[in-house]
Amino acid sequence: MKNSSWVLSFPCFEKMLSTIQPPRYLSRFPLRGRTKSRPFHILSSAQPVTKTSFAADQSQILSIRYSLLNRHLSAVELTHSYLNRLKQTEPHINCFLHISDPDKVLKQAQDIDDKIKRNEEVGPLAGVLVAIKDNICTADMPSTGGSYILEGYRPPFDATAVKRLKDLGAIVVGKTNLDEFGMGSTTEASAFKVTANPWDLSRVPGGSSGGSAASVSARQCVVSLGSDTGGSVRQPASFCGVVGLKPTYGRVSRFGLMAYASSLDVIGCFGSSVADTGILLHAISGHDSLDATSSKREVPDFTSQFTSASSLKSRPLEGLRVGLIRETVDAGVDSGVKSAIQGAAAHLEQLGCVLKEVSLPSFSLGLPAYYILASSESSSNLSRYDGVRYGNQASSDELNALYEESRAKGFGSEVKMRILMGTYALSAGYYDAYYKRAQQVRTIIRKSFKAALDENDILISPAAPSAAYKIGEKKNDPLAMYAGDIMTVNVNLAGLPALVLPCGFVEGGAVGLPVGLQIIGAAFDEEKLVKVGHIFEQTLEGYNFVPPLITDVGGASA
Amino acid sequence: MGSRALLMLTNFNFKTTVSSFGSASNPFFLIKNNLRTRNFSTKTRSSLQPPDLPGLAETARISLAPNEVEEFAPKIGQVIDWFGQLQAVDLDNVEPAIRADTEGDNLREDAPQTFENKEALIASVPSYEEPYIKVPKVLNKE
Repeated sequence: MKNSSWVLSFPCFEKMLSTIQPPRYLSRFPLRGRTKSRPFHILSSAQPVTKTSFAADQSQILSIRYSLLNRHLSAVELTHSYLNRLKQTEPHINCFLHISDPDKVLKQAQDIDDKIKRNEEVGPLAGVLVAIKDNICTADMPSTGGSYILEGYRPPFDATAVKRLKDLGAIVVGKTNLDEFGMGSTTEASAFKVTANPWDLSRVPGGSSGGSAASVSARQCVVSLGSDTGGSVRQPASFCGVVGLKPTYGRVSRFGLMAYASSLDVIGCFGSSVADTGILLHAISGHDSLDATSSKREVPDFTSQFTSASSLKSRPLEGLRVGLIRETVDAGVDSGVKSAIQGAAAHLEQLGCVLKEVSLPSFSLGLPAYYILASSESSSNLSRYDGVRYGNQASSDELNALYEESRAKGFGSEVKMRILMGTYALSAGYYDAYYKRAQQVRTIIRKSFKAALDENDILISPAAPSAAYKIGEKKNDPLAMYAGDIMTVNVNLAGLPALVLPCGFVEGGAVGLPVGLQIIGAAFDEEKLVKVGHIFEQTLEGYNFVPPLITDVGGASA
Repeated sequence: MGSRALLMLTNFNFKTTVSSFGSASNPFFLIKNNLRTRNFSTKTRSSLQPPDLPGLAETARISLAPNEVEEFAPKIGQVIDWFGQLQAVDLDNVEPAIRADTEGDNLREDAPQTFENKEALIASVPSYEEPYIKVPKVLNKE
C-alpha cells in the first residue's frame, strides 16, 4: 500500500463508482473493475481490428465506442446523461463560459446514431463529448479567452486541434473558463466568473485551464482541451484529480490557440484516465501547414501501449530508470504532497523501476526566466487586441486614444501588469539584461534536462508544491501565485512532454484533496509517458479519484 | 502551503562581483518579504532604471486610471526586482535559446490562399464601411 501520510480508504469503492458512472448504461463496464476486465478491440468497419487488446474499463472513450457499435447504448442516451449531469453540477462549479445549445448537441448525437443504424462508418471519437478551453478558437461559438476585450467574439475558423476532433466525430459541449488569456494559476483572473474545485467548492480548480480540468473531474464531459504555457494543464489536473498531458512543443498545432507566449504555448489534454488522454493527444497531434513550429514527426499509436491490468506481469516496468528531481521535494513543498510523491515513487519501484534522485541545480532559475519570457512575449502577442478588427471597441475621436481605451476597458489587471512588465523587459537597453538572460537560462535548463534524461528514462516530481488552495488566498500576491508554478515552468522552457496523473490525497475538504504526480519525458517521447502512466494508474489501488460533488448533486439521477 | 516556498538556488555559479543580493553561500529566496529588504535595484544595476509606469503604459497603449497606477506600481516593482536575480547568474558564453528545440524549417510555400469564411471575418469588425475598416482620425503626436 501507499506510503502516504493520509491515505483515504473507500470501503464502498465499487458501489460509489457504479453510482457515479456517467452513463448509467455503461455500468456494466466499471471504470476500474480490474478482475473482470474484458478484452476490447478498437472496432471499426474500415480498419481491421487491431491485434492489441485491452480492457474497456480503462477508457471512457473506448467503452463509449464499444457500447455504440454494439448497440448497447445510443449516442443520444449517452449525451442526455452527460447533459443532465452538466446541468446539475454546473451551478456549483461554473466551468463553462459557453454551453452548446443542447438541441444542437443532441442533433449531432442523433446523426451518429443514424449512421450506426445504417451501418455507416463513424469516427473513432463518435459521441465523445469534449469541452474546449475558451482560448482555443471554435467557429460556431464564442471564443473569448476569458477576456472582456473578446466578449461575444466568434472566430471565423476552428483551431486545427478542434477541427481534428470534430472530423473524428467528437461533439463540442462548450467552452471552458480560464484565467484571462491563460495568465494565472487559479482561474480567478477570468473576466467573467470564478470556477470552483469539484473536490471542495471553496477552493480553486487551479489554472489557467481550470474550467477544462474541473469539467472532466465533474464528468460534465468525457475529455477536454486546455493549453499549457507554464503548467496550465498540469497544475489544474493535479488540483482536480484528473489526468493532464502537456505534449512536446511542436507535437500539436497551435493554429487557433490565442497566442500568449509563443515559444512556450502548447495545447494539452485532460481525461479521467491515461488512456483517454493518450487517445485525445493522438487525435490532435501531427504536422499542420498553418503552424510552422508543428513537427512533421510521425505520431505513434499511443493505444498500442495499453495492456489490461490483468495481463500485466508482476514487475511490468522492470529496469525503467526513474529520476526523482531532488529540488522538487525540497523545503517549501507541502509535506502531504511530498509524502504522496514518495508513495508514488515507492509504487514505481514495486513495478520494477530503478529509482534514484537527480539534481537540477538550475531548477529555481526557471521561474524568473519563465516569467520574463512569458510576459515579454505576451506584451508583443497581445498588441493585436486593439479594438479595431474584432472584439470590444471603446468609442473615441482619435485612433491612439481608441487603442488605449479599448485595451484599458478590455483587459483585466493581471493581463495589464504582465503586458507592462513585458514592455519593460523588452525596452531598449533592457533587452540584454532581461529577455536575453532569460533565453540563456533556457539553454542551461534545456541542457540540464537533457543530461538528466540521458541517465534516466523518465523524471518525476510533484505537479505543484501544494494541493488546491482557497479561492482568494493568493489573488493579490503575484509572487506567491507565481511561486506555485515552480514544478511546471521548467518543462515548458525545455519544450518537453509531461504527464500528470492523480497519485494520492492530502487532508482538506470533505474527503481530501487530490495530488498529482508529474512524469517528464524526453522530447517526442509521449509514448513512454502514456505507457508508464497507464501501468501506474492500473496498478494503483485503494484510491478513488471521483469527486464527491457528483454523488452529492449530479450522479444518481443522471 | 507550498507557495510560501523557500525556493532557493543551490550549487549555482554566481558572479562574485555582485554581492548585495545573493550568492551560493547566501541564497536568496523567492518570498516577497526578503525581496523588500534586498535593496539591489539601483546599486547593482546602475544602468537599469526601475519601471516608469506611465511611460510603459503609453508604450503599451493601455491607459491607466490613477488607482491602477497606485495598485500596479508596487506589484510590478516587486516582480521586476525579482526578475533582477538573473543579473547575478554567470551566463557568459551561454547561447540564448529562442525556443525549445523544434524540427524547424516547416515553412509552407509562400503562396496566397483564399480564406473561405470571409463574411464572418468582416462581420466581427466593430466599425466597417464597405470596403473599409473605419477608424477615427489618426493624429501622430509623437
